[in-house]
Amino acid sequence: MRNVPKKKIIYGAVVVIFLIVLLHPDMNGRRSYEYIPKEAILDNLYYAVTKSFKLNNSTNECDYRDIVFDDTTLSPSLKDGDLDDGHKIRAGGECAPLECRPKFSTAIVVPYRNRPEQLHDFLIYMHTFLRRQQIHYRIYVIEQLDSLPFNRAKLMNIGAKLAMKAGFPCLVLHDVDLLPLRPANLYACTYNPRHLSSSINKFRYVLPYLHLFGGAIAIRADQFRTVNGMSNQYYGWGGEDDDFYSRLENKEIKICRFEPATSVYYMLNHKPEVKGEQRHALLDRAEKRMPLDGLNNLKYTEIAATLHPLFTHIMINI
Amino acid sequence: MVITALTMEDILPFVTSKANKKKVDTDAILPFIILPLLLLLCTLSRTVTIIVMVTIAMGVLYVCTRPHQKNRSSFFYSWTLSSGIYLFLVFEFGVLRLLEITQVENFVLLVLVACTCYFFHKMKAVADFELATGSSKGKEYRPNYPYFLAGQIFAFATLLFGTNLGLTTVCQPFIFIGTILMPEDCSDVYYQMDLAICFVSSVYGVGYVLIIALVLLKQIFVYIPKYCEPQWRRIVNVLNV
Repeated sequence: MRNVPKKKIIYGAVVVIFLIVLLHPDMNGRRSYEYIPKEAILDNLYYAVTKSFKLNNSTNECDYRDIVFDDTTLSPSLKDGDLDDGHKIRAGGECAPLECRPKFSTAIVVPYRNRPEQLHDFLIYMHTFLRRQQIHYRIYVIEQLDSLPFNRAKLMNIGAKLAMKAGFPCLVLHDVDLLPLRPANLYACTYNPRHLSSSINKFRYVLPYLHLFGGAIAIRADQFRTVNGMSNQYYGWGGEDDDFYSRLENKEIKICRFEPATSVYYMLNHKPEVKGEQRHALLDRAEKRMPLDGLNNLKYTEIAATLHPLFTHIMINI
Repeated sequence: MVITALTMEDILPFVTSKANKKKVDTDAILPFIILPLLLLLCTLSRTVTIIVMVTIAMGVLYVCTRPHQKNRSSFFYSWTLSSGIYLFLVFEFGVLRLLEITQVENFVLLVLVACTCYFFHKMKAVADFELATGSSKGKEYRPNYPYFLAGQIFAFATLLFGTNLGLTTVCQPFIFIGTILMPEDCSDVYYQMDLAICFVSSVYGVGYVLIIALVLLKQIFVYIPKYCEPQWRRIVNVLNV
């Protein structure tokens, strides 16, 4: 050791520190993470349907084993197609299988503003996708009409509130620009809240960080109430999903995922949204605000609510 | 850029020795200032990117067509060095920050960078030694040739891998074969400054990949057969005996 020049030791140390910084897990995304294995999915699902849902006369219950083990990958180009004529989707975008009794009722809540083509593609694709899964579902599109920055989380709260009022036990909070490609990615709730979109093409099929809980998530209605929904204060892009994660963490609710290959999503292209200026400051006080900011102080003006053939359209001013 | 520096050198051949020393210094520093400015300029729009990249390519062509002894300025060495350093920094602090590169990919890239640096360093060390001792006189090929070749190959691999990672991060990628991704739609990159910087740096890197590819092709078809010939003949001779 005595013969090694000091200079070399210093250079070596700098390189090592540099490597530690660059290869630190927080600086890198990941393609592998802890997930519920396929065999265990059926045991982890939360079986519940809306009480008001009129069951069809079918005596046999739907079987979800084949769906969970389905290997097919759908093409995003399905969005350019059209739904078949006898699609049996009721006004308001509600649909349930006819040949068997579904075990899940899911409300898909989609915050939206001013992307008509994307919404069209999303609806066509999602109905094609969801009807394969033999679940009872309804699509709520919550549109922000005012000119304030987009408030994704508040729109989620509004949609969730309406869906819970309609008796849905399971909520899927979904971005309009995401298309799930694997029918095996069942749109139903697990006991723990689930991050659905952990392998998005736009992100190189990488999960950017472990506690990411945005894009598309599934959460039980009672858990959504427990954490007082999402924060209403995030105007502009970013932060609200991390805030929501910290709420779950605060109530010691763990999140889960399905395997990366099942969680593949295709992101539709669009201009980036205006970033929220307050998001870092808000995030710092996220846990303190939880009891006062969320479902219990939700105020908004409903301008209109219409039942379109493919979705329930709620137009609001924040 | 390239051209301005050259004319400066050409116009002022009569400068005194003191000023001459100063000039060499500016030649070495200039690329470290020009290159980031050019890359920043590129982030304005697609058209600007194309114009700047074409200008740089023309500058390179001009330099290549000039007689070799005119290119003995530290400007060119400095330009290459600054390109390498800036591309590395953009990757490690720009692309990586977007959290779409996995630890394994980052590690592989760092190893490739280290190999490239090692071989170029070795190449230069051997050349310096040779210059100091004059040991290579009379030989047709310089003893640092293997290091030069290995350096080029690793530089090629590093840049190819790095630019692929960079472009698939900022653009919408598609699955090319198996786990290899390729960029598909880069229409959104100019809206955000950080994405634009990563994008234009990657495009600049792709330019370097093309140049190195040409250099390597030349090696394959011209130099390697010549370089191997004496050794090959020795083996044949041994066999003949």
